[in-house]
Amino acid sequence: MAKSANKLVIITEKMLLNKVAQIIDEAGATGYTVVDAGGKGSRNVRSAGQPSVSDTESNIKFEVLTESRDMAEKIADQAAAKFFNDYAGIAYICEAEVLYAHTFCGPDGC
Amino acid sequence: MDFLSEFLSLFLSKLQSPTLGFLIGGMVVAALGSRLTIPDSIYKFIVFMLLIKVGLSGGIAIRNANLVEMLLPALFAVIIGISVVFIARYTLAQMPGVKTLDAIATGGLFGAVSGSTLAAGITLLEEQSIGYEAWSAALYPFMDIPALVTAIVLASIYAGKQKREKYRMNAEAIGKGEYSGMQPVAAGGYSSESSVPTGGYPNSDQRSAEGSFSGGTGGGAAGSSGGPADDRVKIWPIIKESLQGSALSALLLGLALGILTKPESVYESFFDPGFRGLLSILMLVMGMEAWARLGELRKVGQWYALYAVIAPLLHGSIGFGLGYIAHIVTGFSPGGVVLLSVIAASSSDISGPPTLRAGIPKANPSAYIGSSTAVGTPIALAVCIPFFIGLAQATMGGG
Repeated sequence: MAKSANKLVIITEKMLLNKVAQIIDEAGATGYTVVDAGGKGSRNVRSAGQPSVSDTESNIKFEVLTESRDMAEKIADQAAAKFFNDYAGIAYICEAEVLYAHTFCGPDGC
Repeated sequence: MDFLSEFLSLFLSKLQSPTLGFLIGGMVVAALGSRLTIPDSIYKFIVFMLLIKVGLSGGIAIRNANLVEMLLPALFAVIIGISVVFIARYTLAQMPGVKTLDAIATGGLFGAVSGSTLAAGITLLEEQSIGYEAWSAALYPFMDIPALVTAIVLASIYAGKQKREKYRMNAEAIGKGEYSGMQPVAAGGYSSESSVPTGGYPNSDQRSAEGSFSGGTGGGAAGSSGGPADDRVKIWPIIKESLQGSALSALLLGLALGILTKPESVYESFFDPGFRGLLSILMLVMGMEAWARLGELRKVGQWYALYAVIAPLLHGSIGFGLGYIAHIVTGFSPGGVVLLSVIAASSSDISGPPTLRAGIPKANPSAYIGSSTAVGTPIALAVCIPFFIGLAQATMGGG
């Protein structure tokens, strides 16, 4: 059985890692995944892998699975309101179907 | 005339040192479009190695030093750090097309200290066998932290003033707290209206971020009340963040280990011999990075480039002048005077940018990081270090 969920993706600057993670935690999400990200956007190319003197040039991508769309929107709204005026950032929601996840689906499985 | 020609020949001979050779080599390699890269982690590791070595030697020296001697140079370091920010505030910020917040952030970065420039200065002094107080390296935080704190406090005072004026003018427009009006960030480079909120995202003070969130979409209006109370900057978090930065942590750890333990055996067998080789690799990276940032700097305008050329020399001269006073008053060594000027001339490249980015989020990082990395640091390394060594030898003798 697959359990339907919302996948919230936030791509933002690496230096916001802890702050965005805090928002996600406080919204009550069961967990999240972070990966290094690079690419091109409204604030020029911010690529991964190029030697950089400090973290101000690197991006990260958060993926959060939430049961309710409300929670995902709440996280995105807070992150956008606090940071996206001044920092690079983009957020979007995808439909997802969770197949295996211990905490997320509960002890009985999905 | 003798003085001038002697000084010039000293200056030219410094330009041939391996440290500077690698820096220029890195720029040339990057300019030619080479795919040579040095991994990020190695770069960070080298910086750590250099600073812990500098810290260790400083700590070992402090154990049998008279610390009272350090008071005057440390006081001068604080004065330089603070005044550099004000210099930027009242020169660079007045130029046409330069935003005040960007200028303040640039000043903060130029006031802050670069560990790699410091390491290069130490190496050149050793190559010339000029004596210096090993605790001079410990002056680093005395200039670094005041500069960053001053910049962030100045910026928040300025932003607060702007904010209140803006709110008085269109309080109701902001009150909607709606998202949709907000698109300025999407334009080409960085948001051009950087000092003024264009409505939309609530613009709560970044410093208070640790505390409460303004709660969801609706929180928009609440977060943007913008009263004077909101604008107060907490200084301690800035100091804490600077101290927690990788560069200062490594330096302070080295100092502590040098003072409290007996690290001479590892120091002599491992940290000291590797120092110069690692530094030359670091210089290569700095050269490549400087070239990569030049394009970014071109976008923000010529005033930053001009500032970045003049500022290191000016700040270094202030450092040299104050150091010279300390030389006369307390017998601060010529090498120490040079290190104080080098610290003053350098602009932070590792710990400064993230601190400023968090502390002055509205300033355009292309402006301050571009001017520092692309122009300021190469000038400090290639011009200021040999210049001040030459000046010290010419005015105070080889010491």
